[in-house]
Amino acid sequence: MADKQIIKVRIVRFFIIISFLVVTANLFRLQILQNEYYKNKSLDNRQISKRVNAPRGRIFDRDGIVLADNQFTSDITVANKCLTIGGPDSTLTRLIDWFSLDEQKVYESLLRQQKSNRSRLTVIYNASMSELITVKEKSREIPLASVQSEARRRYIFGDMFAHIVGYVGEVRQSEIDLEPENPIYLSRDNIGRYGVEATFEEELRGQPGQYLYEVDSSGRVVGHKSVEWYPVLPGQDVQLTMSIDLQRSLSELMAERQGCAVAIDVNSGDLLAAVSNPGFDPNMFVSGISTLEWDRLMSNPGHPFMNRLIQGTYPPGSPYKIITSLCALSSGSVTRSTSFKPCTGSYYYGDRSFGCWNRSGHGDVNHTAALVHSCDVFYYQAGLTLSLDSLHDTANILGLGQLTGIPLNSEVAGNIPTTQWYDSHFGKNKWTRGVILNNAIGQGEILATPLQMAVMTARVASGNAVLSPRLTVSEPLPPYESLPFSSDDIKWIRTAMTKVVDIGTGTKAKLSEINVAGKTGTAQTPHGEDHAWFVCFAPAEKPEIALVVLLEHAGHGGTVCAPVAANWLTYYFDWKKDRKAAK
Amino acid sequence: MGWNKQYTSRFFGSKTVLFSIFAGLCFYSLATLWSVTEGISGPYNVVSSGIPKILFWKQLTWVLIGWFIAVAAYKFPLQLLEETAPVLYLVMFLVLVALLFFAPEVAGARRWFFIGPVSVQPSEFAKIVLILMLARLFSRDGNMGNKVIPVAISFVISGLFVALILNEPDLGTSLVIVAIWVMMVFWYGLSGILLVCVSTPVLSAIFSFYSENVIQQPWPWAAFILLLIGFLYFARFGLLESSLLLFSNILTGIGASFFWDKLKLYQQERILTFFEPGRDMFGAGYQAYQSKVAIGSGGLFGTGFLNGTQKGLAFLPERETDFIFSVVGEELGFVGAMLLITMFLILIISGLNIAKNARKPFSSMLAIGIVAFFGFHVVVNISITSGLLPVTGLPLPFMSYGGSHILVSSLMIGLLANVGSRTFEN
Repeated sequence: MADKQIIKVRIVRFFIIISFLVVTANLFRLQILQNEYYKNKSLDNRQISKRVNAPRGRIFDRDGIVLADNQFTSDITVANKCLTIGGPDSTLTRLIDWFSLDEQKVYESLLRQQKSNRSRLTVIYNASMSELITVKEKSREIPLASVQSEARRRYIFGDMFAHIVGYVGEVRQSEIDLEPENPIYLSRDNIGRYGVEATFEEELRGQPGQYLYEVDSSGRVVGHKSVEWYPVLPGQDVQLTMSIDLQRSLSELMAERQGCAVAIDVNSGDLLAAVSNPGFDPNMFVSGISTLEWDRLMSNPGHPFMNRLIQGTYPPGSPYKIITSLCALSSGSVTRSTSFKPCTGSYYYGDRSFGCWNRSGHGDVNHTAALVHSCDVFYYQAGLTLSLDSLHDTANILGLGQLTGIPLNSEVAGNIPTTQWYDSHFGKNKWTRGVILNNAIGQGEILATPLQMAVMTARVASGNAVLSPRLTVSEPLPPYESLPFSSDDIKWIRTAMTKVVDIGTGTKAKLSEINVAGKTGTAQTPHGEDHAWFVCFAPAEKPEIALVVLLEHAGHGGTVCAPVAANWLTYYFDWKKDRKAAK
Repeated sequence: MGWNKQYTSRFFGSKTVLFSIFAGLCFYSLATLWSVTEGISGPYNVVSSGIPKILFWKQLTWVLIGWFIAVAAYKFPLQLLEETAPVLYLVMFLVLVALLFFAPEVAGARRWFFIGPVSVQPSEFAKIVLILMLARLFSRDGNMGNKVIPVAISFVISGLFVALILNEPDLGTSLVIVAIWVMMVFWYGLSGILLVCVSTPVLSAIFSFYSENVIQQPWPWAAFILLLIGFLYFARFGLLESSLLLFSNILTGIGASFFWDKLKLYQQERILTFFEPGRDMFGAGYQAYQSKVAIGSGGLFGTGFLNGTQKGLAFLPERETDFIFSVVGEELGFVGAMLLITMFLILIISGLNIAKNARKPFSSMLAIGIVAFFGFHVVVNISITSGLLPVTGLPLPFMSYGGSHILVSSLMIGLLANVGSRTFEN
């Protein structure tokens, strides 16, 4: 009997000891072995980090006038956990009820936001004053809602700078995922999508700050304990070389016309004005563009989203004769006074006839007269004295066939064909030397962007071989490197260009007090009417400004583009005078 | 028995040790409750959904009353308790029945009577009444005769309480009563056969539950029943006994599913959550998760008294009652938790020592019932808070806030000391 009792005691004691050992071992596991893990979980419980967005840098014109800035708007947001709390008295249900929101849309939007780790979810963007007041007044009934203010991008001059300043858009998930460890962006952040906004994204975006708050179980900020933070680094401002006055003037002159125009300072390379029509209002991307609006813009035959200045490639037409002349002069095959066979309105190469734009012919013209009156027949014959590759090299020296390097995305290089290019595109021996006739007058396979033509004009005007457009004042001024042509040849071409405006094809660009040097162009295009070109610089004696006007399918450059140039240059010189006077 | 062992026996069970532990636990309890009722005040004067300070003062009151009760129980003639046990049982039975009919419903349960500002939880007192009743029952005919009949009677006696308390509903207390009954039956001296009789129905219920609710296939329970039949045949059980046993096994097996259906949805959810912890982080799993976080984040020495954030920022639910151990774990760490556990272990080992050496069967049964009570409460409560068992409402003796259970626990300590003093000091 006593034995039985002892066994029982042992069994009970055994169970007690085992139970306590298990409990102790488990506590040891939790508190000692997994202590770090649970410490972090405890931290996760009570710390919420709040991101403070960095204000995006502003964009100014050369005089400090704001082109793009940030506007503070207020959103009504709710805590993340609202999605798991339903019922008629829940914060979310009340908000939907009070402001008669579309319940399904709200939930869809919130779920989308939740996926991207936002600590608070936005129910109403850019809330109206009355909505904000309601939320503040009834805050007791909606404990999980709050008002959050946020900076939104604003483009003050709307479409005037659309193709230069560009716009921001909401960041895509794929872009967030690029840096999963240390995400730069969170969902709903803005990212530069186009123009300066895109190319200067790194400077403009700044660095968001991070604040850690201690909260209790119901999400209220308790506050005073160990609040860490990382400071906000605001984005840097970007100052453009452009001038709002000059841009406005050029925009007005180009209004409603399809094409583009660009003016650059021939000494500094400063881009002063640049218009590409049609354009769009970048503000519509900020608050989210509707599908309808988007479709309308996308189906516009004028391609409003194309920046014609750097993405539009056109046959340069007659302005290219400047290159042909300089190439011929420097190769020595043609002199400043050379004459070829007189122009009868057409020229036969082999058994093929190449027409001059003037069907009745220019008669006997020397080199100067050929440029002034844009005689094609002269240039056909001059072209025949040249090689394709030397023509290409000269074009290159003047900035064609290569990127101008302006800090805007999606610039294209155009095409200045070489022998090799024809061999690879047409096949060896599948093309004749006749192509040089078209090349000599800027037709055929030659393609250039209007900005490249402006660079060409500015290089001729300044004699600087390395002049390139400058878009922001922080870029260094271009160095000076003489063009590899004789100064007499350059002087001659400038004089000839002055004559173009004086007595030639570009007389409509004439100004009363200042001499303008220019070259008209009427470039044939396979689709529809000719493109009208006018490239010019002024004053002819001491060039300051180069201007290129291109109007698509508009006819004669001398007729349609030259007046635009004259008007703008008048404005430009008045503007200059005013500034001098102001100083 | 060497001198050493004798000395140990006398140590574990002396009134000095018991009352020292009692004092230690009361102190621990009050300190922890003080911490729990401290709000957090920041620059905005936010007091984080704190537990009101009044709870501390109430607890202090209960502890003081508890001391009077313990001292009274220490001096109380056990003989009288033994004689009045049936009366106490009858009264308690009526109270529990009355509870179901007359008690107001609080949070879906009828567990409390409200007398003025005081709420009384009769099921707490039912534990000690049942211990007294079973002690009397099992001490009447000593070691002679058939033990099956007293065990059967005890089954009915305890079963009635379990059924009534389960209906309140109060799963935790029901389980305590089952544990007390199992322990006392075992202590009563169950032969191997009886052990089978008692344990197989429980196993049957577990297998049945597992079949029906966890894997939803009948084979585990079916296999268990077949195994049982085989065992009964080979162990040469009589036909009558075999049939009775098989019948009771099938009955509890089927009963398990009734019992399961009887459980409130939240209880089912808790048990299922235990099988699949990630099941519902913000529902049934929330308490268990936050409790583990509290304990785990404490580390070796804890975050320091008053400094627990799981507690202070109200992430830990039920931190003044069933989950008060987690507060100890968080603020005082492994060391503080072990100190508390050691005190409980000394208490329980002392109880066992007293039960072993008690001179009268009634005293021994009483002591072992009390051991079962403390053992179950302590081990199960700590296991729940540290995530070893599914969540069910069960206070930690002396530590958790609550008048009824403090009084009953004090009473138990007093009775234990009473038995001990008769065992070792006369």
